[in-house]
Amino acid sequence: MKISLNWLKEYIDLSNISTDEIISHLTMSGLEVEDVVDQNKIYQKFIVGLVKETEKHPNADKLSVCKVFDGKNELQVICGAPNVQAGQKVVFAPIGTLIPNGDFEIKKAKIRGIESHGMICAEDELLLSDDHSGIMVLDEKNIVGEKISEVLNLNDVIFEIAITPNRPDALSHIGVARDLAAIFNRELKMPKIMLDEKGDNIAALASVEVEDIKNCPRYVAKVVTGVQIKESPLWLKKKLENIGLRPINNIVDITNFILHETGQPLHAFDLDRLNDKKIVVKSTKSETTFVTLDAKERKLPSNTLMICDSKKEVAIAGVMGGENSEITSSTKNILIESAYFNPSSIRKTSKSLGLSTDASYRFERGTDPNITKFAAERAAQLISELADGKVAKGMIDVYPEVILPKEIKLRFSRTSKILGYDIPSEKIKTILSRLGLALKVVDDDTLLVSVPTFRPDIEREIDLIEEIVRINGYDNIPTVTKINISLEEKSDETAFAEQLRQAATSLGFFEMINNPLQSEQQAKLSGNAIRIANPLSADMEYLRTSLLPGALITVAKNIRQGVKDLKLFEIGDVFNKNNDLEIKNFADFSEDQKMILVITGNNNLKSWNASETKSDFYHIKGYVDSFIKKISLDNVLIDSYYSSVNQIYAYHYTKSFKNLVIGIGGKVNSDVLKKFDIHQDVYCFEFDLTLIRLLEFKPKHYKEPLKYPKVVRDFAFIFDKSVRYLDVKNFIINKSSDLLKDVKVFDIFENEALGIDKKSIAFTLEFFDENRTLTEDEVEKDFSNLIMLISKEFNAKLRGN
Amino acid sequence: MLDNKISEIKNSFTADIKSVSSSKDIEDIRIKYFSRNGLIAQLFEKLKDASKEDKPELGKKLNLLRNDLTLQFDTVKDKIILSDTSKENIIDLTLPGNEFVIGSKHLLTQTLDEIKSIFKGLGFSVAGGPELESDYYNFESLNFPADHPARDMQDTFFISKDFLLRTHTTPVQIRLMEKQAPPVRAIMPGRVYRNEAVSARSYCMFHQVDGIYVDTDVTFAELKGTLISFAKQFYGANLKYRFRPSFFPFTEPSAEMDITCYLCHGKGCKICKNTGWLEILGCGMVDPNVFKYVNYDSEKYTGYAFGMGIERIALLKYGLTDIRIFFDNDLRFLKQF
Ligand SMILES: [Zn+2]
Repeated sequence: MKISLNWLKEYIDLSNISTDEIISHLTMSGLEVEDVVDQNKIYQKFIVGLVKETEKHPNADKLSVCKVFDGKNELQVICGAPNVQAGQKVVFAPIGTLIPNGDFEIKKAKIRGIESHGMICAEDELLLSDDHSGIMVLDEKNIVGEKISEVLNLNDVIFEIAITPNRPDALSHIGVARDLAAIFNRELKMPKIMLDEKGDNIAALASVEVEDIKNCPRYVAKVVTGVQIKESPLWLKKKLENIGLRPINNIVDITNFILHETGQPLHAFDLDRLNDKKIVVKSTKSETTFVTLDAKERKLPSNTLMICDSKKEVAIAGVMGGENSEITSSTKNILIESAYFNPSSIRKTSKSLGLSTDASYRFERGTDPNITKFAAERAAQLISELADGKVAKGMIDVYPEVILPKEIKLRFSRTSKILGYDIPSEKIKTILSRLGLALKVVDDDTLLVSVPTFRPDIEREIDLIEEIVRINGYDNIPTVTKINISLEEKSDETAFAEQLRQAATSLGFFEMINNPLQSEQQAKLSGNAIRIANPLSADMEYLRTSLLPGALITVAKNIRQGVKDLKLFEIGDVFNKNNDLEIKNFADFSEDQKMILVITGNNNLKSWNASETKSDFYHIKGYVDSFIKKISLDNVLIDSYYSSVNQIYAYHYTKSFKNLVIGIGGKVNSDVLKKFDIHQDVYCFEFDLTLIRLLEFKPKHYKEPLKYPKVVRDFAFIFDKSVRYLDVKNFIINKSSDLLKDVKVFDIFENEALGIDKKSIAFTLEFFDENRTLTEDEVEKDFSNLIMLISKEFNAKLRGN
Repeated sequence: MLDNKISEIKNSFTADIKSVSSSKDIEDIRIKYFSRNGLIAQLFEKLKDASKEDKPELGKKLNLLRNDLTLQFDTVKDKIILSDTSKENIIDLTLPGNEFVIGSKHLLTQTLDEIKSIFKGLGFSVAGGPELESDYYNFESLNFPADHPARDMQDTFFISKDFLLRTHTTPVQIRLMEKQAPPVRAIMPGRVYRNEAVSARSYCMFHQVDGIYVDTDVTFAELKGTLISFAKQFYGANLKYRFRPSFFPFTEPSAEMDITCYLCHGKGCKICKNTGWLEILGCGMVDPNVFKYVNYDSEKYTGYAFGMGIERIALLKYGLTDIRIFFDNDLRFLKQF
């Protein structure tokens, strides 16, 4: 919201306070000044220039070469405006001037071969309007060489203030002035109404009926007759222009002026265009269309609060007037509406129309029901002054239930308890009074505060405490240097994920954070995806059901950048519908935390002494097992293998705890990879951390290192190719004595010498006993027994014999 | 007899050692003289046959010989090996070593880690909550009335009438207070979503850390002190800061904390919109209406709450300008941190 400093000064004496002080105090008391336009600074160098002569530029049709007199010298200036003529007084920017739109500086320049020593300005270049049709021509009376800021009265400072939604009272000049009054402890001066009601009795001229009192608790109307629609006087136009509004005509300008002065939106109807000169306030019963004064036809849902006459709708209440009743150049008689509408009703209308106006913005935040009369009278007064109208006697005021100020108790002790320090009670009283609140002392500790209706945000004691501390200044809150820390149990719910991140990074993986919002195709790859009702775009319409699509997007992006060897991980939530119903409670969907490991390209760095190895299934399997060991889940999970293609994997395996699958992974199938534009193998594994968290982790215990020697024996067999390693390994474990503690594969190969469909697998067997040294004999007995049994069971041949 | 042998060996050794030019020669000499069956060992063998009276004298001589030759041999050997240019012993120490890749946590995770560790030091626990939230937890219980303009402050992705993607981590405050009686002191990191067009300055999802402390004597002054302590630990002890009034439906009074702009050091620039200040977090005293929803007695208990965006903090700390870099997951970015 734009606020003019000059305008503010009409309601508060700000002498001896610098502009910088005003800005910083506004920000530091809750009205954040986001931008400042100081016209004195901006227009400092612009002066009145006289165009002495113009002639066509020899090298450019549209340019003129002008001689401009700046009061001292005659300067050659190139001008591109079609309306430049000798004898004009113009806004001249000498060399060194900073042009406010675009922030560029005027320099001596050659334009198409001819020197130019300055610029003749258009309105848009001065930020006075967006008019760029030609240069701005000034009144002949102006003196050449005078400062433009003097001539055009450009000596204001405009603040752009961000008003938080709780402060509708501050959406006006009087509102901001009231805060300044409290901040600087000065008096707020309200404008005086001086009304000369020369017209007929209002009852004879118009009537108002409010059917929907709930949504329109107060409706005030004044009538002014015999008005003359014309341009507003300069002072009014200037005020509006300075805060970025375009002057239209005296009546519209007056209503805009009062809105920005008091915060009360007004609407002016052409009384003669109202059937039966009657206003009826009611809500629509069905869907309707209505043409607003911007000439747009709008669809209104049923139950929209409307202003009607005896026959038709004439305005969308609190949002925008209608074309059918707006002020035109021939309007003679005017009805001024100054109403209080229910904020949520206006908000609903504004939302459903997608239309926010200065009026609706204020009504939906809450205006003051008790300023309506003042605003209507002030409007009537200004209309009679600026449009030569006669104000009708009296006013119509439909206000069946008067809204009274709230009374709230304030305890000084409570103030100190919340804030942690004392603000003197006299200071508190001053602050609250300056904010316009009425005070009554109840006892030493308690004030009874009467809160006027312009502060709908102040409802409770805590709201008063906020007012006190904000005006007193947050800088004045003492800085504590000690805090108490209670000794109750502390916890960290993120600790487990943190442990996993540590393990993954130590295995050489990099963490990614992918967008959980995905396209339908991506999200439905592996689950019952949840749709977003109001998505940003089709590629972010669904919530992810797995971390795999995001990982593949990242893999593809990196490959495109030339980074083809990747080890990545992510920890994040995935979302699945639990049924096909609309989501109405937490049982209708699940949100689970997952972790994915993904590898592709080479698994190691290529080097002069080592060739690269392609990442493959055994790499991902190995990483997963290292990982599982790190979080102490080894020896409790069971692997299951699936060698055929499914919709995600070419082949895959799962890890389960009892019957619970806690992880799945493998080689991503090429159809899926193609969809992501990936043309190299990708292996991944996805853990369900929500499930893993439910498992019981055994606390780690120290195990004494083995005191007695291990006996290690190797053997290799020639098997049929179809024999699986795991089956042989399990057989060995089953058939040997307790002395066998570990079986490992250390070599596998196939060649012609072994025979077709044969392979050799070599095993290392580790024997030991924690309590004694083994004898050669007992190991030998176990070992040779195993050779015999394996040969028989698998029809295998011991190699090396 | 042995005496002769000794000088004979001495002479032949001197000749041999002079002609040494490679480590192969060195090895030959070692075998010829110093091995188990070498010439020196043979002489010691012969000592057995010497007479009792000659033995001590001869033994001494032999030892002398051995020590002498060993010393000469070692000296020459060291020289030869250092300067040996025969092929099998070339080692080019200047070749690069075999590097291994250590992975890294995402920069946002690292930033969060730092924030977590500071607040843990200040006695806070760490809690979490769901990203797909109900309207009740995300808005209603946080004192955002339905149909109130305060809801416009956070553009929301809706899933259904009553469910949405949480727009802040503040709902976890309610979940925590529902679960336990005061004192409550925890931070709540997590992912949040806003229905805003993706640009350099905003993304449809980002991360926040909320914090809450409720007990019998929690004050606004303590909130200020605690957050100053955090900011100084995170940004450095010389940090300049300010607190200014603001508005959040779930706190009253509310504040925003600004720190001096890292780029212009307070003079004013584009990044800080010419104010010299950058906002880093919002905070305030827990609104009594919020306590009503979790059945805390607001006469007995007071509390403070705060919240900050992790992306914003990381952008400021590492001098980045485009929030999208966090979610591109370009390895060339990830590797730098
Ligand atoms: Zn700056």
